[in-house]
Amino acid sequence: MTETVEPTAPQTTRQRRAARIAEAASVPIGWILLKILLLAVVDAVAVYAVFVLFTHAEWLILAVVVAVTVLVNYIYFSRKRVPAKYLTPGIIFLVVFQVFTLLYTGYIGFTNYGTGHNGSKEQAVSSLLASAQERVEDSPTFPVTVVEQFGTYGLLVTDPDSGDALLGTADQPLQQVQAEFDGGKAVAVDGWTTLPLATVFTLSEELENLSVPFSDDPNDGSLRAPDGQSGYLYVSTLEYDADADAITDTQTGTVYADIGTGAFTADDGTELLPGWQVTVGFDNFVRAVTDSSIRGPLISVTIWTFVFAIISVASTFFLGLLLALVFNNTRMRFRNGYRIIMILPYAFPAFLSALVWAGMMNESFGFINQVIFGGADIPWLTDPTLAKVSILIVNLWLGFPYMFLVCMGALQGIPEDVNEAAVMDGANPWQIFRRIKLPLLLVTVAPLLISSFAFNFNNFNLIYMLTGGGPRFSDVSIPVGHTDILISMVYKVAFTGQTRDYGLASAFTILIFLVVATISIVSFRKTKALEELN
Amino acid sequence: MGTTDTRVRRRSAGAWFADTGWRHVVAIVVSIFALFPLLYVVSASLNPKGTLTGSNQLFSAIGIDSYVRILTDPQNPYVSWFGNTLLIASVTGAVTVFIGACAAYAFSRMRFAGRRVGLVTIVVVQMFPQLLAVVAIFLLMSTLGDWFPAIGLNTHTGLILVYLGGALGVNTYLMYGFFNTIPKELDEAARIDGAGHARIFFTIILRLVAPILAVVGLLSFIGTVNEYVIASVILIEPEQQTLVVGLTKLVANPRYADWSAFSAGAVMAAIPVMILFLFLQRYIVGGLTAGATKG
Amino acid sequence: MKVNKRGIAAAGAIAIVSTLSLAGCSTGTSGNDSADSGDAGTSKLVVWVDAERVDALKDAAASYEDKTGVTVQLVGKSVDDMKDDFIQQVPTGKGPDVVMGAHDWLGELSTNGVVAPLELGDSADDYLPVALQAATYDGTVYMLPYAVENIAVLRNADLVPTAPTSFDDMISKGTFVVEQGAEGNPYHLYPFQTAFGAPVFGTDDSGSYDSTDLQLGSEGGFAFADWLAAQGTAGTLNTDIDGEIAKQQFLDGKAAFWLTGPWNVGAATDAGINVEIDPVPSPTGETASPFAGVKGFFVSAESKNKVAANDFLVNYLGTEEVQLALFKAGNVLPALTAAADTAASDKIVAGFQAVGADAVPMPAIPAMGAVWQYWGVAEAAIINGADPKTTWQKLVDDVAAAIK
Repeated sequence: MTETVEPTAPQTTRQRRAARIAEAASVPIGWILLKILLLAVVDAVAVYAVFVLFTHAEWLILAVVVAVTVLVNYIYFSRKRVPAKYLTPGIIFLVVFQVFTLLYTGYIGFTNYGTGHNGSKEQAVSSLLASAQERVEDSPTFPVTVVEQFGTYGLLVTDPDSGDALLGTADQPLQQVQAEFDGGKAVAVDGWTTLPLATVFTLSEELENLSVPFSDDPNDGSLRAPDGQSGYLYVSTLEYDADADAITDTQTGTVYADIGTGAFTADDGTELLPGWQVTVGFDNFVRAVTDSSIRGPLISVTIWTFVFAIISVASTFFLGLLLALVFNNTRMRFRNGYRIIMILPYAFPAFLSALVWAGMMNESFGFINQVIFGGADIPWLTDPTLAKVSILIVNLWLGFPYMFLVCMGALQGIPEDVNEAAVMDGANPWQIFRRIKLPLLLVTVAPLLISSFAFNFNNFNLIYMLTGGGPRFSDVSIPVGHTDILISMVYKVAFTGQTRDYGLASAFTILIFLVVATISIVSFRKTKALEELN
Repeated sequence: MGTTDTRVRRRSAGAWFADTGWRHVVAIVVSIFALFPLLYVVSASLNPKGTLTGSNQLFSAIGIDSYVRILTDPQNPYVSWFGNTLLIASVTGAVTVFIGACAAYAFSRMRFAGRRVGLVTIVVVQMFPQLLAVVAIFLLMSTLGDWFPAIGLNTHTGLILVYLGGALGVNTYLMYGFFNTIPKELDEAARIDGAGHARIFFTIILRLVAPILAVVGLLSFIGTVNEYVIASVILIEPEQQTLVVGLTKLVANPRYADWSAFSAGAVMAAIPVMILFLFLQRYIVGGLTAGATKG
Repeated sequence: MKVNKRGIAAAGAIAIVSTLSLAGCSTGTSGNDSADSGDAGTSKLVVWVDAERVDALKDAAASYEDKTGVTVQLVGKSVDDMKDDFIQQVPTGKGPDVVMGAHDWLGELSTNGVVAPLELGDSADDYLPVALQAATYDGTVYMLPYAVENIAVLRNADLVPTAPTSFDDMISKGTFVVEQGAEGNPYHLYPFQTAFGAPVFGTDDSGSYDSTDLQLGSEGGFAFADWLAAQGTAGTLNTDIDGEIAKQQFLDGKAAFWLTGPWNVGAATDAGINVEIDPVPSPTGETASPFAGVKGFFVSAESKNKVAANDFLVNYLGTEEVQLALFKAGNVLPALTAAADTAASDKIVAGFQAVGADAVPMPAIPAMGAVWQYWGVAEAAIINGADPKTTWQKLVDDVAAAIK
């Protein structure tokens, strides 16, 4: 098509455009068919999904799927709703995968999720009871065969002392039976089916609940066979009373009750861990704002966070822009080669690069001190001020290729005739750049700068990989250092040692997000003014 | 091009420097800055027994043992990782560009209630610190996988879908800004000729915004290639994993870290990115070149 | 322009095809999911292992499958993510059945309720005492011990033919390197600290660590701090020496002594160095006891295959034959006494085992997490010239505050 049109292409821009539009007007039916085909596929997938969800009895999700499908069909068959036709696919993905994560994090901020409160109450109870099984002292190992009768499982046990066969179930204590023996081990008994080991392996849950009382006296313990072959006698040190919803320590008699804090707690406040997840209202937020340990370093860390984010954005943007402008000259040779080199830092895993940089900045052995500065002892990563400078240098290295690519693309949106007109008016290159190109460019890239600011504000990984926040402040009691930013500091508070307090961390995260979002929204307002220029 | 060359030769050195010479100076200085740390990586990849940063004697030993080792070790299916990464990153990149361009078109050319708020929202949503993203994504994908195993854990499709959750975002804004630089008279003229919104989008606008599509595609591709956190949770079996996930396992335990094989793998992994850039570069700067030579 | 158009058409086509194929995938393959999930009478164990150990376990997994019909799927995971992923995934019911880990995870795993007790039965006595002690938490065994690791001094016998008798003797005979780093490395310095009689925690009657009895602040602790300061001034200890640099110095023959673990012996012998294993030379005359780290396997509390998992661990991985096979593939000292004795015919293994006789298990109690957070940085500061007394006192205070 184009080939026949282009040689005779009219000379003026307007005419060229008109020709292209006329050409475009000649392909209608294919698109409609394609639209119907795509919608058919979407509907087919939806019908399949509804079917699957129906078999799983997931009614709420099913209703959502149906509603979304109906909405999608409406949007695409309707003659109105034009913007929705273009936005729907992206919004569906955004809601399912991003908004969900956001809401989940928000929800966790209102729970006690973290070390010791990791799962459900049911899991906590079963885990507590499992750990409370103590083997009866000096009791032998009993060879065991798992047997079944009408859906009831039993253990066929050989007494190692007497050689007798004993049979019992969860309800029926062990009693002597006549059994077939194989090599001194009872393997079968009349009326019961002996289960082969392969089958026993699939009966994990059944066997876990199969605790056979040794006798009528509970103090003799119960027999369990964790591997389906050997039985051991256990007594439990904890007892769970489902009606009272409390756990009793059988040795001390202490009662641990569910008092709504997500763990069984005794009267004196001792908790049995693991506990479980419960919602705790605004507790985490209250702790986040009243936490005294972050008071000391808070101001200096906040200042550094802003300095870090602003300088990172500015330095990467200006270097990227400079390079994009430098290579935006058709008379320059090797442009393509240079451009490839410029994006290379972006093509390697960031943690690898960070490690190399850390190695190069090593005080006594690093390349920078040893080779470039001829054996100097410059404490690149261990002096508070230099460590900050080093972080900014490494972040510049990691980030300028992104800005270079973005500026390279955005520059193409600036019409060349603007430039020519300005040259005619006698403007010098700097004036053209400052007065014309930069404002035009900012229309496109200003939102990216805001977003890049937000990214760096929370750039936990870089800090973690390069300095871990160090060098540490010497006058505070939490392990926070001179290069820690807000997000890395609050993680250190919420994740002390082996304790992971996801609830507290989420609350901190939400507070930081509110700060960043406010700054960003205000900035977006400003860029709106820029946009009107266009 | 021939004419350009002779013109350069005729000019004096001073003029040459003022025009393009200084550009080379900038380019060389920044190239050294950009390349230097990577020399360590290349050097480590060529030294089969060496450490990554233990020595400043770069290229003290040269051999391709590590490349052979990483390519042939059955425990580390590098070739599968490579293929998986290309597939996942290409599909993610292409679909991201498409979804993002659609949204940018709507934001740029249509006026509807909630437009401004919508634009800001999609960017601000992605500023949320991803602290618990892994836990949330794992929960979501394992539940989805119970119902639809084809998009659950350990599937490429599932991972791509998660990545597409980020298709609307700051890239949409980048495209939106670029779309705005395309004169609206074009659409209006077409509309007067009876073209619908879809035809204007697919046949007129998309062509004019090719540079930004190429940039966004490249950004999305590189971003996907280097993504570790989500990929490491979703892709479980070694044969399903991506390059970063697979390679990271080689060095995760500092006591047994095989930096040489890791570096070799990382060097080879950078090649598709470079090829894609070479390929897309024409689109990114193509319009300008065409304009300049014609003018 | 022509190129552009074709390119966009291609991009559009890719987008459409991929959308279709995504949709196709979801309809095409998921038809047989119900067949998969049903119990067809065979079990499958998903086992997470350190990525670098997959090779060592591969054969054992295959032969267990031959023996019992239980499929063992080994998933090599990055050791960095394994513990957190395990703790997060187990409560969802989706995590693995078995996970390989270090014994000092135990406090955290148990507090989170993600690990099931393990009955070793009568075989418990067959393990090295340090391994069994490490596998036990709060009186209950949770781990099947697989390997025991501790550090010792690697000596380049071509440079220094005889073992040094004390720390000062070693320093006079050749260059000594040990992994440090900007944030210090208390694991590698611990033998010296114990030589001053200052363990981290005291132990209770049963031999378990007692978090209320912080020994860090004892007199020995301050003596150790003074010693650290002296070594820092003398340059014997240097926080600029990280693992990579220490390794390179030893491999290049610049350092004659290297305090490190068995994991680095392979690199040294490969580099052609005549390695001898020496005990850690004591700076005081008292024994210098390194930490012992015990690697082992844990069963998930939410595993649907606990019976098979127990059988695989206790009755299979716990046998001398398999422990020896794992030793041959992985070259770490087996945790089973009989296997360890057989393995000790190798002089390197014997060397580490001899040092390991004095080793103490790294504390697994959660309080230890707080110690790690402050310990190394304080040591690094002292090495770099900070006042030993006040810095050590701040360490003790910070740890005590964090534990409380």
